[in-house]
Amino acid sequence: MILEVKNLNVEFTTDDGIVHAVNNVSYKVERGKTLAIVGESGSGKSVSSLAVMGLVTGSNSKITGEVFFNGRELVGADPEEVRKLRGDEMAMIFQDPLSALHPYYTIGDQLAEAVQVHHNVKEAEARSRAAEMLTKVGIPSVEQRMDEYPHQLSGGMRQRVMIAMALINGPELLIADEPTTALDVTVQAQILDLLRELQKEFGTAIVLITHDLGVVADLADEVLVMYGGSAVEHAPVREIFYEPQMPYTWGLLASIPQISAKKAQLDPIPGSPPSLLNMPKGCVFAPRCTFKDQVPGDACANEFPDLLAVSKDHEARCHLTESQRTAIRTERKIGRV
Amino acid sequence: MFPYIVRRVFVMAFMLTILSIITFLLFNAVPTDPAMLTCGKTCTPDIVAANRIRLGLDQPLYVQYAEWIKGIFVGRTYGSGSATFECSTPCLGYSFRNGEEVTTMIVDALPVTLYLALGAFILWMLIGISAGIVAAKNHGKWQDRTIMGVSLIGYSLPVFFVGLLLLVFVVVRWNLLPYPDYESPFDDPVAFFQTMLLPWITLAILYAAYYARLTRSQMLETMGEDYIRTARAKGLSERVVFRKHAFRAGLTPIVTSAGLDLAGLLGGAVITEYIFSLPGLGRLAIGAVTEYDLPTITATVLVAAVFVIVSNLVVDILYAAIDPRVRLT
Amino acid sequence: MKKSTGIRFGVGAVSLALLLTACGGGSDSATGEGSKGGTLTILTEAEQILHLDPQRNYTGEDLAFASAYLNRTLTQYTVSKDNNEASQLVADAATDTGTTPDGGLTWEFTLKDGMKWEDGKDVTCEDFKYGISRTFATDIITDGPAYAMTMLNVTDYKGPYVDDAAGQASYDAAVVCEGNKITFNLAKPASDFNYAVTLSAFAAVREDADTGETYDDNVLSNGPYKIESYVKKDKLVLVRNENWDPATDTFRGAFPDRIEYVFSQPAAVITERLMADAGDDQTAISPDSVDSAKLAVVFSDAKYEKRRYDELDPYVRYYAINTKKVPNVKHRQAILAAVNRDELRTIAGGEYAGDYADGVVKPNIGADYAPTGLWDGLLGEAVPAEGNPELAIKLIAESGEPFPQPFVFDYAKSETNDKAAASLVASLEKAGITVTLNALEAGAYYGVVLDPEKQGSMSAAGWAPDWSNASTVIPELFAANGGFNLSQWDDEAFLAESDAAKVITDRAEQAKAWQALSKKSMELALALPTRFGKEQRIHGSKVSGAYIWGPYGSWPYAALSVN
Repeated sequence: MILEVKNLNVEFTTDDGIVHAVNNVSYKVERGKTLAIVGESGSGKSVSSLAVMGLVTGSNSKITGEVFFNGRELVGADPEEVRKLRGDEMAMIFQDPLSALHPYYTIGDQLAEAVQVHHNVKEAEARSRAAEMLTKVGIPSVEQRMDEYPHQLSGGMRQRVMIAMALINGPELLIADEPTTALDVTVQAQILDLLRELQKEFGTAIVLITHDLGVVADLADEVLVMYGGSAVEHAPVREIFYEPQMPYTWGLLASIPQISAKKAQLDPIPGSPPSLLNMPKGCVFAPRCTFKDQVPGDACANEFPDLLAVSKDHEARCHLTESQRTAIRTERKIGRV
Repeated sequence: MFPYIVRRVFVMAFMLTILSIITFLLFNAVPTDPAMLTCGKTCTPDIVAANRIRLGLDQPLYVQYAEWIKGIFVGRTYGSGSATFECSTPCLGYSFRNGEEVTTMIVDALPVTLYLALGAFILWMLIGISAGIVAAKNHGKWQDRTIMGVSLIGYSLPVFFVGLLLLVFVVVRWNLLPYPDYESPFDDPVAFFQTMLLPWITLAILYAAYYARLTRSQMLETMGEDYIRTARAKGLSERVVFRKHAFRAGLTPIVTSAGLDLAGLLGGAVITEYIFSLPGLGRLAIGAVTEYDLPTITATVLVAAVFVIVSNLVVDILYAAIDPRVRLT
Repeated sequence: MKKSTGIRFGVGAVSLALLLTACGGGSDSATGEGSKGGTLTILTEAEQILHLDPQRNYTGEDLAFASAYLNRTLTQYTVSKDNNEASQLVADAATDTGTTPDGGLTWEFTLKDGMKWEDGKDVTCEDFKYGISRTFATDIITDGPAYAMTMLNVTDYKGPYVDDAAGQASYDAAVVCEGNKITFNLAKPASDFNYAVTLSAFAAVREDADTGETYDDNVLSNGPYKIESYVKKDKLVLVRNENWDPATDTFRGAFPDRIEYVFSQPAAVITERLMADAGDDQTAISPDSVDSAKLAVVFSDAKYEKRRYDELDPYVRYYAINTKKVPNVKHRQAILAAVNRDELRTIAGGEYAGDYADGVVKPNIGADYAPTGLWDGLLGEAVPAEGNPELAIKLIAESGEPFPQPFVFDYAKSETNDKAAASLVASLEKAGITVTLNALEAGAYYGVVLDPEKQGSMSAAGWAPDWSNASTVIPELFAANGGFNLSQWDDEAFLAESDAAKVITDRAEQAKAWQALSKKSMELALALPTRFGKEQRIHGSKVSGAYIWGPYGSWPYAALSVN
């Protein structure tokens, strides 16, 4: 097990009150496998990963729970120890490679720096490793690119550079935060292919953070759906697509543009994500849930459902009974029915 | 780079020419007869007429302008007969109120202002930027609040007040330093530093306060950038993140600001020069204005403009050196 | 011509004295007691002494300074605390205060023996003659008084720098040297020519030392000190002139060994230093007024009592009424009655700014002043300082014609003057007079108002007499041949009386004539006198012999010593 997260909570103290960004999230990632964390912006998916990386450091933040990386507890660990892991054993890439790469340093410099911070090697050696890695991620005429600045590259090239920089020290875990969101659709596919190939080659575990279930289908082994800072459904990727158990997941699935489908319209989830400051008392999704009336009493409004096993490896939070869910999925043609 | 600089120099020359025409026209648009001004209290129409000819003010404007420009490059001769005198190259005109060549006055005043501005500049950049960095690093903590509070006070105190306060207490009341008496640093370095210390501090207080705030806000903004998060994700220590990644990026607006502020001061720090009896360009300019000494006014305006224009070029070059996205074309 | 706008150009100030009794006097007054040695420091806001060249020096304080230390003149005023005594002439370079055998058309002075230039050469009659001739070179010798040109019987002379035999012959006939005797032939009789020669425009300059335009910076001294170094904006240092023989000089005490004139000091700092009275500042003075922010402290705290002064300065402030634009005397009187002089003085700085004026002749001129009674019934009724708008309305009604509009008030723009103009508008409004303001740039002010085409109905002005005789006031301001007749008063009777007064040789009689004309000018309401200006000064505690010397409203430099 590369990464095991147990009951992770992240809170931020602000002038307006305490923001509960991540609530009791747990997951595991195995070597060479990919976990996709799916959710809208503000669902806590990015924050939870940054917390894992030890990048949530503000004096106004508070992290509780457990994060085991290769069996080592990271929560409460010496920040210097965690720093040494970052970029070496665990790495991260970000959504917008243009802003994530430093505009004032060349590609070569930035990659070489990534090598040298963890390995006591000479500049030349670091640069040759950088060149090697850039070649591996499919950058053409690497020698020339090494001396160029990020703004001189295309968006896809930049993300390849980011990936090269993240993987240059052969990390066991790669957290990819919306790696394709800022890119053209064709480039998206190339980047996903690249990630898949590199994962195969290096055996890297990947935590893929995305709002796009389309990306998930291509890459993920397991999916964690987050909403309002909480995990609302957690299942192997096939289960999510074929047997989704949670109205929010249904909404996400319905949002995937399907060219082949007769019902080609997007079916967005009505309403907007909850404020993490004033969490609803009951189910975090209840205010936007179309089906809450089917639950007897005011359970949805008053009681936050537990994350319960639906089947082996599949958990979901929902007050609807299994038969109700099946009926709705059948009626709405959600998943494989 | 080189062709760019050459082109910019041409543009500068063009701008200065335009500016010189404007100042020259202003010189002549003032509802005061320059010939009248040269003639003092016992003025009669005859004297005014004679001086008008002597100064070439009887010529059409374009001839006067040509004479003036010619003076800058090859010098010129004023008047005729017994009252002839030479104004040597580069001749920026002759000040009848001071009985001196304008060029001589500028050359005398320039080093004083240069030392004042550069000394204050070094002081305020050191203090301001360090304070701003300390504040940014300790964002929200007592160090930050203290520095911001102090800088707010420093920034809101008028130069006149600070300068006078320093002079009255440090020199007049406590006798910690002798009275300001400007000496060239090459003649008497000790007296030079004793005289310049308070003016430097006076200017530095104001500017350091501004630069502390500017640096802090720039650093905080930069520290929130995505590439800083990337740098941390690479496992870089906070020290490297701050120095190598954040500082350089936060520096650009500071460089712009610093270049223009320095240029502004080089044109003359009027109030500071006045308080500390420094015979610099600011005093020269303000004296020229109060006495309607138009040749001197024109020259000081042009000198100040040269500083601003040149510093703009330097800032642009520095900008390009710091930020590779900026290309000088 | 002496006029004031507050900027340095145009501020020429010269002499006045209290109770001038008789012409000449000739008393060899002592310069007082003082200890020899030490350094006298003079702190000023100015960047240089406007002109040290004697022919160009025309600023009261600078005249007092240079005449006491560097250049000797034929006559001088008495060094005395008492204004009456101070206004009396003493012989300086001459053996007496001058004689005139023909009622003022010819004046004769005999030079003392043993006077030397700083390089040891004798001071000769020719040196005086040459010095005086420089005034005529108006293209080079600028800013000085023009009395040599207006009083001497010289025609078409362009000064010593122009080769012109006819002009030179004319000058040679007017100024004649016979050995030690110098004779001046005047164009018209002037009973006060020996006062005029107190001005350094009549001082000696040696031809071989004359550097023309730059003589300002290279003055050759024949006084008790000489220039050691002179850096404008920084410092002028005077040291003893060993070739000056005290036996030839009863005017100058020459007590300090060294005099340092320190330029470019901020006004607030000068006052602060003199108040603090520490170290070298104990032997310091300043020709500048006490910083207005510190006036209250300096004049209330007893510890400054012995070294502070609040005295009349040479200036009278007034508004000249243009009689061409306001021809009816009742209308002019109405203006005088309506204006709130109290408010104007408050705006100018209150009591420190000056006393209420009752005419254009100031009390510190001496004998020529007598109260005119302007505010005590001269206009028909008493007029308080706050103004009497009812009287003004009555006077306009009596005139039988409407007040001439537009009524334009010219003044030089400044924050203070803007406020004063607003006050004027308000107070005249109460009398039904609408004022149109014409605010002019300070530097352009006199250029405009001295042009009759451009002058408005009333113009702000200031005036100081050139010497202690109202001959330098009344005719200049109100006679048709005056040089500063902003009132445009073109009255033959007044001109005749004024011309007659100029040549009265009996000084007491002459004084009566001036007093009568002064009163008459107020009866005619030719001007609205607002203020007899005052100045406030302070000096270091170890300066002795300091007071405000009447003739120039200056420090008595000849008597100052440090201990």
